[in-house]
Amino acid sequence: MSQLFLQAQPQLNFWNGLNGTTGLWIKILIGLALGVGLIFALMSAPTQTRRPIVAFVTFISGLFYVLYFFFPRPIDRQPGELPLDFVESVSFYIDDAFGVVTDFTAILSGLLLGLGIYSLLHVHVKRIIKAHQNWFFSVVLLVSMFMMTIVGYWDWITRRGEAGASLDDPANWSAINYTKDLMFDGLLQAMDAAMFSIIAFYILSAAYRAFRVRSVEATILLATALIVILSLMGAVEFLWNGMIDGMTGKDPGSVVNNLKLTEISKWLRDTVQGAAIRGIDFGVGIGALAMGLRLWLSLERGTGGGN
Amino acid sequence: MSLGEKLMSIPKWVLYLILIVVASVPLFIKIPVPNTPLEPAIDLYGTLMNIPEGSTVLIASDWTKSTRGESNGHFDALMKILMRKKIKACIYSSGDPQAPQVARDAIGVLNMERKAKGLPPYQRWNDWITVGYFPNAEACANAIANNVRVAFGGKTDYTPEGTSRDVFQSPVLKDIRKVSDFKLMMVITASKTSNITIERVYGKGVDLAMMVTGVMGPESLPYYSSGQLKGLAVGLKGVYDLEQMLESGITPGMSAKWGTVPGFPGDSNIGNGTRYYPTLHFCLTLLILAVIVGNVGMALSRKKAA
Amino acid sequence: MDNYTKFKLALGVVATIGLYTVLYRENRFYRFVEHVFLGLASGWALVTLWTETLKEKWWDRMVGVASANGDPGIPGYWAFILLLPIGLMGYFVFSRKHNWLSRIPIGIILGLWSGQQIQVWFNRYGPQMRDSMKPIFPTTTDSIFVPMPPVAPDGASPDQLANVAAETARISANVYPTEALTNLVYVFTLLAVLSYFLFSFEIKGKFLRGMTTSGRWLLMIGFGAIFGSTVMMRFTLLIDRMYFIWIEFLKQGILGG
Repeated sequence: MSQLFLQAQPQLNFWNGLNGTTGLWIKILIGLALGVGLIFALMSAPTQTRRPIVAFVTFISGLFYVLYFFFPRPIDRQPGELPLDFVESVSFYIDDAFGVVTDFTAILSGLLLGLGIYSLLHVHVKRIIKAHQNWFFSVVLLVSMFMMTIVGYWDWITRRGEAGASLDDPANWSAINYTKDLMFDGLLQAMDAAMFSIIAFYILSAAYRAFRVRSVEATILLATALIVILSLMGAVEFLWNGMIDGMTGKDPGSVVNNLKLTEISKWLRDTVQGAAIRGIDFGVGIGALAMGLRLWLSLERGTGGGN
Repeated sequence: MSLGEKLMSIPKWVLYLILIVVASVPLFIKIPVPNTPLEPAIDLYGTLMNIPEGSTVLIASDWTKSTRGESNGHFDALMKILMRKKIKACIYSSGDPQAPQVARDAIGVLNMERKAKGLPPYQRWNDWITVGYFPNAEACANAIANNVRVAFGGKTDYTPEGTSRDVFQSPVLKDIRKVSDFKLMMVITASKTSNITIERVYGKGVDLAMMVTGVMGPESLPYYSSGQLKGLAVGLKGVYDLEQMLESGITPGMSAKWGTVPGFPGDSNIGNGTRYYPTLHFCLTLLILAVIVGNVGMALSRKKAA
Repeated sequence: MDNYTKFKLALGVVATIGLYTVLYRENRFYRFVEHVFLGLASGWALVTLWTETLKEKWWDRMVGVASANGDPGIPGYWAFILLLPIGLMGYFVFSRKHNWLSRIPIGIILGLWSGQQIQVWFNRYGPQMRDSMKPIFPTTTDSIFVPMPPVAPDGASPDQLANVAAETARISANVYPTEALTNLVYVFTLLAVLSYFLFSFEIKGKFLRGMTTSGRWLLMIGFGAIFGSTVMMRFTLLIDRMYFIWIEFLKQGILGG
């Protein structure tokens, strides 16, 4: 079992096999059969065991990282080194498993992406079939999606292997590479950037319509925002600081230098803003830690089994 | 309609049109703008300039063209320093699948500039490599902190001859066993990967520094204040600060900590910062005027109502 | 600039302007471009699902990688196949009778996330808590303000340099009244903001109410900073789009400037 995660120093054992060998494929198929059997077994689990099963799975998953954090870690472990005792063998095991377990989230999230895609397809195909108002736009969406998928995979296939390096130079592109570049870089990236930038207009409009000095809090927010914005403008900083330099005769020891915009904004940033944002951060952090513990121990309502 | 009501009733489309004009016209005019670099940016520049030649730096390039305005400037400034000081770079991404390609394209543009000046290119495989995209930022940061060889295990990149080889055969990574073997870890991001990296990599023996967009700036500053970051560049101001220091370095009086650190005067230091910073002034001035006009309108309306 | 690049830029400009038309009012051109955007983004997510995630993290580890170009191959580990049925359990959410099975992969993901939070919390906040404990009492009253550190003259002797270093160290080691006051403001701000988030019990008494009110005001300073920085970023993105349209496309692309 200790050889299950030895990916850094692979040796051939029960848990692995060479690429393309029949032995490995047989093991994979048996594993798949076991997995499917597990699903059927769980489907016939009694109702009262459902919640404990989900809670157990959640707990074991979280326990790995908790153990990783608290259990003594190997010090200066060398390649090929064998553990001296039970404690060290556990720490070696956790160390080897780390690189594998950390990817479980990405793999499982990837497999679950189909839920979102199904939902998208369900909504838009239904609109087309039932000829809802603006069903044309659903056609546009689905066509774009399928085209991007096909072109994206085709382009990826052309870039695999040794040909990939030459395709870094557009002079070596074929039609499919140009099409993918047009769809991705020419359209998708440009539209992504445009979407981000639209918010600038809304900020200006909101600042004009809603940013009013109506209360103490609003005044403080407005004043601070004004100082921060002015400190971002190098020209304003230069003029303001120049005015102070004129008053002090450029004497570096003068107390009046503390009224320079750079000094005011620095003090505000380091003393008040930093502390306020740190306070928010601490609050959020404590909440995240509490939520993490509650999820790990399945204390949150809605976790666990049961319909 | 009273003056106050008129001031409060400027149609939205007029505001938007003015913003488009204000954000466009200054782009056609070269306006030099004086600037005082901020302390976090000065520390970032000083830290980069102190990295010995031939060392390797780990770069998390988590930006794409959607935040090109700021992040491209950050990346270019960083790569210019690394190229000029002959420091090697290992680039990975965990924020967006297209980020590795965007980084490669940006290096390609800088290499074209070097070629035009008769300088040798910053060569893939020998000077820099890319280990690709990692779909889960938490897992990636955890893996890097735990064991770099396992984190990047199995990843390949292209040699100058065009063959695909394991990245640890490259001169960039051959001496790297753990994350503390990197002289610096730099995160260029527009997302939460900055926090994720600090949460998992801080304390593992490698210096951390960041170049973040304006939105992430305020929440990254506490990390700089507490010493978790060796330097920090925030937004377009950070880009302009770095470009200015690339030109004139750190001069006496700018920072008691660094004293004098040279720049690269006369080299191609102009980037997005120099291009966009003057225009930003006009946009911010418009914002301040909009707030003033709105409040003056409100005050006049209230006065009239009273 | 070659014709392909001009065409690509033109497409990007048309798409950008199409999205910007929503600023005037909702229209069919905007909806068309919006749906193209959503379709392309969904399609790209499907592509990267395999090419960037599942293939490398799951498939290659399961079936192994053959040796090539002098690099040794990597054996495949068959146990990775078990992640497929576990992941597919998520699709039981559509089943009325067995939808509880969908909570198993979600439970694994949540468990893995929550298990990390302890380490993450200490790594992230430990140094910040340490940094927040600032001295609020002055250690010297030699000067109200922090004195400027001395600067060694050019060609200074080793003794002079040593004196300058010693004086600089002395200044750094002391806490001057203005520094103490700044630190007090810092600590007060932090505690006041934290007290604002105390929802576990009723805030009674003048002192606590004063703290929470101060916390609210000081929070506004933090929000003002966040607003200022956000504004800079959003305007920069807009300026970048204007540069893309006017300079890259029009000036350099069409007019060849």
